[in-house]
Amino acid sequence: MAPILFQDGMEDVLPSETNGTKSGRSDTVDLNDSTLQVDISDALSEREKVKFTVHTKTTLPDYAKPEFSVVRQHEEFIWLHDRFDENEDYAGYIIPPPPPRPDFDASREKLQKLGEGEGSMTKEEFSKMKQELEAEYLATFKKTVAMHEVFLTRLAQHTVFRNDHNFKVFLEYEQDLSVRTKNKKEKVEGLFKSFNKSTDEILLAATQKDVDDYFEREKTFLLEYHMAIKDATTKADKMTQAHKSVADSYIQLSSGLSQLGTIEGPRLEKFINKVADTFEKARKVEGRVSSDEDLKLSDTLRYYVRDGSAAKDLLYRRLRCLANYEQANKNLDRARAKNKDVHAPVDVADAELAQQNACEKFEHISNKAKEELNDLKARRVTAFKKNLIELAELELKHAKAQAQLLKSCLQSLPEE
Amino acid sequence: MRLYLIVSASPSLCPGDNPQATHLPRAWAPLARPPPHGSRLTADLFSTNPGALKSPVSEQTTTPEDQRSPEDPLTPPPPAASLTPEPHNPGTPPDLFESVAEGPVVVQGGSPKLSSVPLDLPAGGNGGEGKQQDTSEPPVPPSSILPPMGAPLTPPVVPITPTATPSLTPNITPAAPTPVTPVAVARSSPEQAEGDGGDEFIQITVSDPQKIGDGMSSYMAYKVTTKTNVSYFRKKHWSVMRRFSDFLGLHRKLVEKHLHSGRVIPPAPEKSAIGTTKIKLGSDKNADSGSLDFIERRRAALERYMNRTSTHPTLRADPDFREFVELDAELPRATQTSALSSAGVLRLLNRVGETVNKMTFKMDESDQWFEERTQQIESLDAQLRKLHASMERLVNYRRELALSTAAFAKATAVLSSVEEHSSLSRALHQLSESTERTQTIHHAQADADFYVLSENTKDYIQLISAVKDVFHERVKTFQTWQHAQITLAKKREAKAKAELAGRMDKVQQAQEEVTEWEGKVERSQEEFERISRAIKKEMEQFDVMRVKDFRDMVIKYLEDLMTSQQQIIKVWETFIPEAKAIS
Repeated sequence: MAPILFQDGMEDVLPSETNGTKSGRSDTVDLNDSTLQVDISDALSEREKVKFTVHTKTTLPDYAKPEFSVVRQHEEFIWLHDRFDENEDYAGYIIPPPPPRPDFDASREKLQKLGEGEGSMTKEEFSKMKQELEAEYLATFKKTVAMHEVFLTRLAQHTVFRNDHNFKVFLEYEQDLSVRTKNKKEKVEGLFKSFNKSTDEILLAATQKDVDDYFEREKTFLLEYHMAIKDATTKADKMTQAHKSVADSYIQLSSGLSQLGTIEGPRLEKFINKVADTFEKARKVEGRVSSDEDLKLSDTLRYYVRDGSAAKDLLYRRLRCLANYEQANKNLDRARAKNKDVHAPVDVADAELAQQNACEKFEHISNKAKEELNDLKARRVTAFKKNLIELAELELKHAKAQAQLLKSCLQSLPEE
Repeated sequence: MRLYLIVSASPSLCPGDNPQATHLPRAWAPLARPPPHGSRLTADLFSTNPGALKSPVSEQTTTPEDQRSPEDPLTPPPPAASLTPEPHNPGTPPDLFESVAEGPVVVQGGSPKLSSVPLDLPAGGNGGEGKQQDTSEPPVPPSSILPPMGAPLTPPVVPITPTATPSLTPNITPAAPTPVTPVAVARSSPEQAEGDGGDEFIQITVSDPQKIGDGMSSYMAYKVTTKTNVSYFRKKHWSVMRRFSDFLGLHRKLVEKHLHSGRVIPPAPEKSAIGTTKIKLGSDKNADSGSLDFIERRRAALERYMNRTSTHPTLRADPDFREFVELDAELPRATQTSALSSAGVLRLLNRVGETVNKMTFKMDESDQWFEERTQQIESLDAQLRKLHASMERLVNYRRELALSTAAFAKATAVLSSVEEHSSLSRALHQLSESTERTQTIHHAQADADFYVLSENTKDYIQLISAVKDVFHERVKTFQTWQHAQITLAKKREAKAKAELAGRMDKVQQAQEEVTEWEGKVERSQEEFERISRAIKKEMEQFDVMRVKDFRDMVIKYLEDLMTSQQQIIKVWETFIPEAKAIS
């Protein structure tokens, strides 16, 4: 497939994020801050892979050139995210959720089904449905590019993340990062790790008492919220799907009617053709409704599912840290108890040091976490507000368009 | 079974009055059953072509009565007996008609035009009057017969008495010309009826489905309400209760009476064993949405069926139809509609036979019109089926949309309750409500999709197969004609052989046979031509009606669609300020 430019798609997702980050930061980053600007200027879809052209403009001295581009694939984005995730320094931050894998399976399946059913429909019907599918494919493509871009922009705007070494490498390194996808062993390892993590989470949640009421509340809230929003996202997806199907079935109705018109002959033909035409137009509007719903509603929900997930991760890390801290305390006490006598101060010193580290870490995380969570809240509210307003306005616009379309059709009909 | 013939010279005689207005002369003993011929007569009267008058008569003679010797027109009982095998039909004694009419027909050497007969009768005076006027003419005692013809004549004709005791009491004097008169009279009225079509109004609603009884013997009864200003009905507005098998019985009777005349009979809703059993066995409380849907579908289908049948002037005037619509008591159980009855089995066998016939017999089509129309009907059928399939898909998807929107509304409500930011929570709550409202709109639209678009198209597909049936009737008549011709040739051959052989006795017999078959050939040819003409006329009407119906349906659907969109507009308009209010 040819490279696709999609600049227009970006604005929908981008500003909400940057607005959010803007408001939460004490050191606000101007949207137009040119110190580090990242975007995806181009994307190429090749059978199984999508190649993104990441374009950077910067005034920062660290970088070799003020403006440059590299080609990255999805796996490299994930690599970048994992680097951030693993970095203990960033434990107190919400790591921006990684973009989802580009998934064209659904579109591909539909295209295949269409190909199989080709014999049973007329040429026009077939070409119309094919067009629809291609538009769908294009929309999915645009969306995945947008997600990847948002991920990068959030990193670029974050005061701490933007200076990360891995991030720089990601942006600058012209060669392939040779991030191979995890082979079987690593995948199993990864699975194991995440399994561990979730059991740990549950264990901690059950046993670890949080010292800070605020975090306790936050945790409960986030958990509940996460479930609710995940549910809402699935339902929203189903709804937009159904909407799309309704719009698509208009195609067959429209073409069936036009065929009927030819059989009926002059008496009804004009009438029928007008109606068929109206259905065709109505279909386009309905399709638009469906895709807008998808973009404004489902995507917003989906994004905050993932962000919420990242926040949960943050809380988990903090809790783990707390557990470690408490463990270190216990160790220190034990060490101290064991070493009442003087000649094993090393143990005590070690334990003391460990405890101190743990304490520091914990404090640091707690502070940062508070900031981040507040930030997340604010971002979420703004994003929702913006998208809900846009959703409502678009729905209104489309409904009006359809009503108008139908009205003019009805007016022109009885004239026969 | 004996039938009533309400005969009265007074136009104000209402059905239900003393049916035995007069007594038939001995000759006219109660008929075994009223042949549908009467209606057929009307059917033809319907055509504005006076020439068509003859047809009913000949038709009556050609059909089952082939065997009957045309020489004895005045033997009512036997002819009556040999008439259609159909049981009760509170119709007329068309056989009176027939047998009598036969006389002139035959006498005139088979001249097909009854018009030659008494067109000059006072019947002509009916032209300027309403349908009911026919009976007002004293010199036309046959006018009493007329009503039986099912023409839009006096109500008294409706020999439907609550007791429904069939005892035919035609007071028709077996005067030879008399039978003709009714025809003539009837002729003008149908014409008039046609002309008056614009002023007539009849609307039937089927409502209040109720389950009567319990268990396997229970059934659904529907209230049939009729509003009309058509003169031959007793009242302007009334209701009766009918059960589903009554509707089917009516349809069957109409088919038997009118199909031969080339009428397109609107098809009745199908029996559905599953749906019905579910209802029978389910209790009232258990009425789940599935069976409620089924009942609603059926009710709507019955309503459409009744209205379609009533728009057809001939069918509307049919006594069976009128009885169905008017009779205040329960109709006799139309047991023949049950699939397992003997009649049902017979019908099934007949249908199988007919299907085989359809496939094997290829008619030599000489009429261009029929060839074109047949093709058009076929392609129309195929196309409508396809269209119907895509409509059903639309209905399904929209229903799915309604369901998923409802699910989403619930999820959003949950989300809103969890959300801690108060104004966002409020906004989400509003979103949930708006979506809930949209869902209702979608659901209503899906219903409109279904009832307005999909079901109507399905009806049309069934109507088209009724049309095909009518066309097939014509083919059958053609077959009969061909067969008669072949037999005639054979008989002639036999006669020639007998002559050669000098066997005088055989010659005599052969001669008789030849004459008989000549008559048959002629009659079947007339029948064929008559049915061809009737079909043409019928198809014209059918086309007009079909076009109008289709336009109405589409327009209504578009209006519904537009209303939905306008409602959606309102929903979103109320939501926007809420969304903007998020702080």
